[in-house]
Order: sequence, then structure tokens, then C-alpha cells
Amino acid sequence: MKRLGLIASVLASLHLLVLLAGFVAPYDPVEQTRTLPFAPPAHLHFVDSRGQFHLRPFVYALVPDSENFESYVEDTTQRFPVQFMVSGSAYNVLPGLESRLHLFGVHAPARVSLLGTDGLGRDVLSRLLHGGRMSIGAGLIATLCALLVGMGLGTLAGFFGGRVDAAVMRLADLFMAVPWLYLLFAVRAALPLHLDTRATFLLLVAVLGIVGWARPARMIRGIVLSARERTFVTAARGFGARAPYLLKRHIVPQTLGVVLTQAGLLVPQYILAEVTLSFLGLGVGEPTPSWGAMLGSLQQYSVLTSYWWMFTPAIALVAVAISYYALTSMVHERMRLAAS
Amino acid sequence: MTVVARRIASSIVMLFAVSVLSFGVLELAPGDFFIEMQIDAHVGSQTVEGLRTQYGLTQSPVVRYVQWLRSFVQGDLGFSLAHRAPVSTVIWTRAANTLLLTVPAMLVTWCLALPLGIWIARHRNRWVDRICGGVTSTLVALPDLLVALLLLLLALRTGLFPTGGMFSPDANELSVGSRLLDLGRHAFLPLCALIATTLPAVVRHVRASVIEAAEAPAVQAARAYGIARTRITSRYVLPLAANPLVSLAGLSIATLLSTSLLIEVVMSWPGLGPLLVEALLAKDVHVVLSASMLASALLVIGNLAADLALYAVDPRIRV
Amino acid sequence: MRLIGSALLVALLSGLSVNAAAPSAIAAGEEVLVERATSGTPGGRLVVALRAEPRTLNPAAAADAPSREVIGRMSGDLIHIDRATQSTESALASQWKRSTDGREYTLSLRKGIRFSDGHAFDADDVVFTFRVLLDERTGAPQRDLLIVGGQPIRVTKIDEYTVKVALSQPYAAAERLFDSIAILPQHLLNDAYEKGAMGQIWSVATPATSIAGLGPYRLKEYVAGQRLVLERNPYYWKIDSTKRRLPYIDELVFLFTGNEDAQVIRFQSGDSDVLSRASADNFAVLARDQAAQRYQLKDLGPSLEYNFLFFNQNDLSGKTLPQVAMKQQWFGDLGFRRAVSRAIDREGIARLVYRGRAVPLWGNVSPGNRLWINTALPRLPRSVSEARAILTSSGFSWRPDGQLLDRQGRPVSFTIVTSSTSAQRTEMATLIQADLKELGMDVQVVPLEFRALVDRVFQSFDYDASILGLGGGDADPNGEMNVWLSTGSNHLWRLGQQKPATPWEAEVDRLMQKQLVTLDYRERKQLFDRVQTIVAEQLPFIFLAAPHILVGARADIGNFQPSVLDHYTLWNVERMFFRPELRTRR
Repeated sequence: MKRLGLIASVLASLHLLVLLAGFVAPYDPVEQTRTLPFAPPAHLHFVDSRGQFHLRPFVYALVPDSENFESYVEDTTQRFPVQFMVSGSAYNVLPGLESRLHLFGVHAPARVSLLGTDGLGRDVLSRLLHGGRMSIGAGLIATLCALLVGMGLGTLAGFFGGRVDAAVMRLADLFMAVPWLYLLFAVRAALPLHLDTRATFLLLVAVLGIVGWARPARMIRGIVLSARERTFVTAARGFGARAPYLLKRHIVPQTLGVVLTQAGLLVPQYILAEVTLSFLGLGVGEPTPSWGAMLGSLQQYSVLTSYWWMFTPAIALVAVAISYYALTSMVHERMRLAAS
Repeated sequence: MTVVARRIASSIVMLFAVSVLSFGVLELAPGDFFIEMQIDAHVGSQTVEGLRTQYGLTQSPVVRYVQWLRSFVQGDLGFSLAHRAPVSTVIWTRAANTLLLTVPAMLVTWCLALPLGIWIARHRNRWVDRICGGVTSTLVALPDLLVALLLLLLALRTGLFPTGGMFSPDANELSVGSRLLDLGRHAFLPLCALIATTLPAVVRHVRASVIEAAEAPAVQAARAYGIARTRITSRYVLPLAANPLVSLAGLSIATLLSTSLLIEVVMSWPGLGPLLVEALLAKDVHVVLSASMLASALLVIGNLAADLALYAVDPRIRV
Repeated sequence: MRLIGSALLVALLSGLSVNAAAPSAIAAGEEVLVERATSGTPGGRLVVALRAEPRTLNPAAAADAPSREVIGRMSGDLIHIDRATQSTESALASQWKRSTDGREYTLSLRKGIRFSDGHAFDADDVVFTFRVLLDERTGAPQRDLLIVGGQPIRVTKIDEYTVKVALSQPYAAAERLFDSIAILPQHLLNDAYEKGAMGQIWSVATPATSIAGLGPYRLKEYVAGQRLVLERNPYYWKIDSTKRRLPYIDELVFLFTGNEDAQVIRFQSGDSDVLSRASADNFAVLARDQAAQRYQLKDLGPSLEYNFLFFNQNDLSGKTLPQVAMKQQWFGDLGFRRAVSRAIDREGIARLVYRGRAVPLWGNVSPGNRLWINTALPRLPRSVSEARAILTSSGFSWRPDGQLLDRQGRPVSFTIVTSSTSAQRTEMATLIQADLKELGMDVQVVPLEFRALVDRVFQSFDYDASILGLGGGDADPNGEMNVWLSTGSNHLWRLGQQKPATPWEAEVDRLMQKQLVTLDYRERKQLFDRVQTIVAEQLPFIFLAAPHILVGARADIGNFQPSVLDHYTLWNVERMFFRPELRTRR
């Protein structure tokens, strides 16, 4: 029980961080600092150049190295202490409600990029937090679509059996066989350009989810098949219950356990799918950040070998995925124990 | 036997449906193979139109599909516009190269995953289980592309392994033994990448099925009887756990040609992957169709083999 | 005797056992070309990594860069452009005369030359080549290059070693026409041509004995998906100052990789010896490791390529694109385009996208084209306030929240489409998006798959703006006719028109046609300067930057003289050699 609560709270806090991205992130994710491309993570100092200790951590401003214009040195002439609850760039807390309050920041011209900057000088930490919205959101939407269609068709197949079942299962085989990547390319190319890039992306994600209905459908069909034969269902039928009632009161609740565990496995899978889409150029458009778009830059050899802080979205990805898997396996375990 | 015959018939229908869908989806995307030439300032649009007519791209999609279907059932896989050669000359060597990678990877994966999964299941909920759970979760969560890129980086930094390709440039002058060694050195990293991306999921499945099978009443009864543990595992647990695992093995066979796609592209392994990606981007329709048909055929074979194996292994299904 | 000595030397020094054909002895009566470059040491194998697999070895069918790269080493042309000087020199044609009216050229071919399979070369092969290329059935990409004044050129045989080329009108850069037009062997290709199969012949899998050419190398072996090996052409018609037959290097191996990054990785790990056109980012990575490694890197300065942003000004009367049509009110307004041009941070693009290895552009000719650039073009610095002033005088205004509105009060918003495979152009678009935000314009960047992009720009016209790159061919303005002529197939901002839509386009047409037939360089330069001025004023393309050419090669390669013209590194491959005193063990 304790471990379940622990995992659940870790997952919840990760989602909360991403939800509160505007507040936690020190900068606007699309703000470019053209003088500081690929700047390394800022060092937080407690002891200054004269050896004096300060309780409040501070940073130095970064300037390009005069000898090697590819790297930066710290300008130790001025300290910039880290302030908390500062006023910064504007963001929307809720649609329509704006705020300028950020958790921490420093005065200009220094920048406290705790995870460095990308090729256009944008703060990686801010993009990581805001990008989580896109990526986790994509995972949730795709999972929802896959499960809705999968539940619908799987329940149908399992409940009515016979020819309906065979037809649905053949359809499922078909959907698992066709390479749907081309469909995504085609949909993207066919969409009008005037749609918001965010809307286009979410549409692609929904399509991705919908075509992935086959595997959940199979599992749900299996459950429904066995549930249909259970004694209480036969009894209810004997009492004259019709199909909708049976489905609603008896069959579907049986499937919920499987649906939940499937959801727990599908969400990280679709977050990963978003990364693949971005690698292939089908991701969300600039300048909106997403983890896939940020990892996409690692395909360039120069970025892969020189700027280790560009890997941080992978760490975030892994953390979220592990939490989901751990939660799922724990819930699965408890359900099994409860059933036996 | 009629069961098998019916399955084969429905598989053929499915392959046909796959071809129609693939073709339809390809047609949806605008542009064709020769449109790339239009952006070359030296080539006039009449030349491009002439080429289009010559290769039949101006005909309606239905006509083109029927033409392809007719030649396909006669064994002619079509003509590759990119290579200006029949598809069959291009696709079979590539498919063989891919299998050269995926078959050993699959064998190694299963030979490692089965004992590992059983062993972890036995030590369920102890620290061994937790660590392995964490490692497999991490590997499953990492995008395949990232794993491949990291391995490539490793090759570059250490210089121990070649950074791409299947043979060294002077491979023809080596003896047979050295050539095999050369092949091995080139295949090592792609194999590692492939195993790293498929092993964790299989281990997790083995573990889950074994745990579930171990809870069965028959196994509990056997334990109560005091039967030795190894005997329980081999005679009771494994046959029970076999059902989902056989399906998974069938899926492994079915995806033999598609799992290594990204890894082949990143590591310049001359398999089906780079061919398919380039054909897709270039809209080389016949190559894409042939590759999808090949992959779908393998899927059908894999599923059929799995179902047959299941029939043989699990007596409950025969009833 | 000398040959045996050199061969022994090579075997001792290199330790490689390369089974390449030894050069044949020079026959009496063979008119070879003497290269007065540094004499070098024969032997060795040069490995080059290609970005993609070549699609064909047929010079009359090759449209993609990897194919042309390989074919270029296997074939010879009549008159060649020396990449170092950018001017013409004699190749298979030892000399030529131009008639006084400039419509006829008489070329004298070298006598006693043989193809790589030993068969003799004469005027029949030349006539055959041009007949094949000009035949519409072949569908050769070079066909349109050979159409002057609406008429194809006529090549006729005078005698066994003399041909006459007749043009329908005097043509300024006629000599340059012949560069890279590979002379085809009639004895091998005549049958295929008669049967109408020229488009399908000589695929990469063709056996080596069926292919012959007049270049420094000939086909040895092809392994699908992995590599293509060329070996020395024993009959190559160039010799060095010591009367040794070129090329020096025994074998050329082309490795196939998937993309530019894989190409760079192979170079850095030592698998390949020459790197052509690295991107600025990869160049920086290589430069960092240069001290420890054994390769030389060169930054050759700006290329001839130009990248630009352009707006859709096509005539949409035949199509139903109401949204685009509405926005064309802005795109057609010169003030709008000038404001956009003033607001773009070109220095930022050069610094961020190309790591400083690019030059900002305000015209269609890059500084890399020394002979033709108009140095008097104004280079207006970035100024958002100026841009705003221009917008105000064009009738635009701003909402309180900063959004730009047009005369009718509609918010100004449009999309820029780029190719999803070009990370650099997408980055440029992102920078421009932020720049134009300061003007209050709402810009979206949409990366599309390349074919979808080309379809929109050339066929459906369903786009607002796009970023593309052109140029990079020959330095001569004639190569750009299709872009600047209003009926040209690359007149991207307004395609498919029968006559020029604006007075300035009519003027550009007149100037380009005139410089086509003017034979004096200075007069042509004046005409083309005027074209550049008009284009820079009217801004059909808003020019952004020209990237530098960045190349690399092993440190022990001699005669490595890369140039900004295609082919950047291997154009003089017959003169390249491995220097034994610098040789390191592989």
C-alpha cells in the first residue's frame, strides 16, 4: 500500500511540475538569446572569486570566449544572486488568466539556464517543462483514442462472438500489418496549412492512437469472452436481461482492470511515438517545444557529441515511463491478489 | 487440415487488403517520383512530363494498381524508379542482409530472456527483481534511435568497432576466415542495439507469464505434493506459461523484417531499412509495395506458425 | 622500365595489394593532354563516402548528385571548366574555332584516344552523344541545356576528328555548354538507343565490361547497398610532366552511407579519405579533433548557392484558394516585402545556423562568384524601426496587443513551409518567425516532406511563403535563365505565366535575353549587374545567406585543390596522389 502510494505521488508530482510549467520555468520557452547558442548549464556558486561565502547561490554572466568562439567563459566581475518569486515573462495559468510570477530567476543580463540552452539560445529547462505538456498530452490523447476504439470493437467482438468476432479480429490483423507511417505522412501533407500547428499535431496524434486500437481490442475481447460465460451473467440472462444492460452492469466492469493496465502501458508507448514522429519531421511545429522535438536535434552528429545537456529530455522520458510502468505493475499485482 | 486451408485463404485476402491500403495511402501523399527534378533549374518541365509519361505515372491510380497486381501475381515485383532496375534485383539481397541481423538477434534474445525471466520470477519481489525491473523499464522507455545513436558514439570514441557498413572496403582481398571476422566486427554493434531494444520487453513478458502460471491451482497442488522445484518448473509451470509466450514468439518472427529498420538506418547496415526509408521518401512505389508485402507475408507466416505451435503445445485449445 | 620501378616503389611503400590495371604505354600518334601540375606518386586507394546510393551509371539519365559524382569520374567532356580558375580549357577537343557571327563552332578532337575498354574514340561518338541527349525519347536531364534560342544545337561530323556545332543564335557562354556533357561510346550504346531503351541501360548493377567512358576511372565492382569500386582507366588521355599516364591513384571506392552525419562519422573514424561539403556544425566538430587526427580541413569561402524566402505571387485564377488569394494583397505589396527584408536578422542566421561560416546576402549572386557579383548593391542593415515605418506608409497598423493589421483591419498572419529534411532551412524559418514577431506578424513554420513541399510550390500553389535554395551550378548567369525569365520553369514566385506580369519583370526578361547573345564579357557584366539591382530592389526573393564550402581530406593527399564549383573535391582526382613522406598506417 505504501509503495503504491509512493509511486502514485511521484507520478502525480511529475505531472504537476509539467502542469505548472509556466511558474516553475524561469524563462519563456520560445524566447531566443541569439548571443548564447548552446550555452552550457549555469554553475551555481556559493563562494565568489575572492573566496567569500554567500548563503544565497549566485551565477555569473556568460560571455563568448575570445580565443575559441565556440565556448563561453564566466564574467566574474559581477555576481547575480538567484531570486525567488520573481516577475518574468508572461504565461497563461488558465486560458485567459495571465501571470508573470516565476519560481526563481536572476536579473539581466545574466541568465540562470540550469540545463543550458539549445541552438537558438532558448532555455532548455523551460522547454523541457513546457514540452512535457505536449509530449505527455500527446501520450494521453493517443491512449484515449486507442482505448475508446479498442474497447468498443473488442467488447463487440467478444460479446456477440461468431461472425462479428471473426470479422473484427481479421480487421485487427489488418491494422497491425499495414505500415501506418505513410498514412501519417499523407494526412500531414493533405491538411491545410492554415490550421494551428498545435491542432495539426494533436490531430496526427489522434490518428496514431486510433490506428493502434488492435492490440487493446484483442485483450479486451479475451476478457469479454470469458466474462460472458460467467455464472452471474448467465443468471442475469435467465432473468431476461438484454444486451445493453448486461454490457453496462456486468461485462464492462470486468474489463476495467485490463483497460487500466493497458492505459498504464500505452501512455509511455505513445509518448515515445511522439518522439519518433518528431524525428521524422511530423512533430509539433516550431517554436512550440516537445520532448520529441528537443531530442530530434540529437540526430545531428555535432549535437550528439558536443552538448550533453540536450539529452535531458531522454531522462525526463525515462522517468515518466518508469513511473507509469511501476504504477501499472503494482496495480496489476494488487488486482491479481484481489482476484485470487 | 481444412482449418489450415481456411487460414491460408483468409491470409491471402488480408495480403490483398494490405496492398490496396498501402497503395491508397501512398497515393494520398501529393507529389510523385519525378517531382524532385522540377526543382533543378537546368531541367525543363517538358522533360519531367516526358519521363512521367514514359514510366506510366500519368495514368490513373486504379490502372497503375491493377498493372502492379497483375505483374505481382506472376512473380514480377515491379520496377524501381530510383534504381532504374527491377525491384527483385534490389530487394532480395537487402532482405537477406536484414535477416542476417535479426535472426541471430532473435535467437540470442530468446535464449537469454527465457532463463533470465524464469530466474527473476523465482526471486520475485526481492532486490534482484527490483533492479532488473528498473533496468528493463529504462531500456524499454528509451527510444530505439537514441540507443543506436549512443552505441554509434561509443564506436567512434573507442575506435574498437567500425562505424558503419557491413564489410571493410578491402574485404574482397581477405581470406574467408578473415572476411567472416570482418562481418562479425561490423555486425556486433547493430546486434547489440537490436538485442538491447527487444530483450527487456521479452524478459518482462516471460516474468509475467511465469508468475501467473506459478499461481495456478495445478502448480500449487504439485507443490503441496512436495514435487521437486525443477520438475515443477519444467513439467507444470512452463507449459502453462507457454501460451502467451508462443504468441509473443510468433510476433517476433512476424516482425523480423521491421524491428531493425531504424537501427539499420543509423548504423548504415545495408538491409531493408535504409532501402525502405529512401523509397518511401522518394515515392518509389513498387519498392515500398514489395517491401510491405514481404513484411506482411512474414507476419502471416509468423502468426500461423504461432497458432500451429499453440495447437501442439496447449491441450486446452484442442478441445 | 620506369613503370616497373614505380610499381615496385608503390608496393614497398604502401604495403597494399591493390590489383588495379597498370596504365598502358603511350602510343605513337596519341594526342594526350599534358598536365603541368605537380608530379606525384602512383598507387593507393581513395575511399569516399557518399550521402546516398547512386541511382544509375547512365550519363543520359542521372539527375541525382551521387550518380553524377560517380559518373563524373568515369567520363570525359569536350571542353572542360577548370574549377580553380572558373574558365574553360581544352579537354577531348584539343582546339576550337568560333565563326565570326558566333553561331558556329568547329572543334578538333584529339587523335588516337581510346575508351576505357580500348575501343577508339572519334567524331562518331560525339555526334552519337548529342543525338542521344537531344532525343526526347531519352528524357535526358541535359537536354534543356542544349536548347539555345528555342532550337536544339546541331552537331555534325566534318571528318573523323572534327565536328561542327551550329547554334540558332549567337550564345555567350557556348563553350561552357560542353562541360560535364559525358561523351558516350557509340559501339556499346547504339543498340540500346535504336531500341529506345536508353533510359534503362547502365544501371548500377551492370557488369563492368558493358560500360566504358573517357574518364580517369572505369567501373570495377558494385556491391549492392555497400560500395562501388572504380579502377584506373589504363587508356586515360592525360599525362603528367614526367610523361606518366594519369591518374595516380589506383582505385576509387565509394561507400554508401545514409546521410550527411554518417558521412562525417566515417570520415572522422578514418574509414573515408575525403569529405565534400560538410555542414558548419560538423565542420566545427572535426576542427576540434583536427590536431589529434591526420586530416586537413579547408573553408573555401562562400559557395554559389543562395537561400531565400519568397512569397506566393502566383496567378490563382484557375484555382480555389481563397485564403491564399486574400493574403496575396500583402505579398504583392512591395512595401510589405521590403519591411520583411529589413526586419530579418541575416547576421543572426549566418552566426546561428551556419556558425559564422556563411555570408549574408542581399542579392542573387554570392561573393563566391567573383566574376559576376555586383559589388555596388546596397547592403541594408537590420532595422525594425525602419521596417515599421515602411509598413505604416503602406497602410498597415497595429493593435494594442502588438498584432499587425492590414488596411482592412485583418490580422497579418501566414505560414512558411520548409523541407523537413533540411534542418538548416527550418532553423532559418524559426529565426525569421521571431524576427517578424517584432513587427507584429503572426508566422507559423510548417516543415513538410520534400515532395509535398515541391508539389505545393510547383503544382498546387497552396502555400503562403517558403524558404528554398538555388544556384550552386555554374558561375555563368546563363545557368539561371530558368529562374529569372518570366516564362522560366524555376520562376518560383510566379510560375506558368505567358508574359511578364510587371514592368520590372519585363525589363529583367529583356536584360537576360540580351546578355545571352552578347559575346563581350564586360557588356554582359553590365547587363547582369542591372538585373541584380532590379531584383534586389523588387525583392521577388528575399535573400538570406550563402553558406561556405567546407571540405576535408586526409593529410597525406597531395594536389588536393578543392573549389567552390561542383564537384568540390574530386574534380581533379586524376591529379591527386598519396604523399609517401606523410603516409600514416591506416
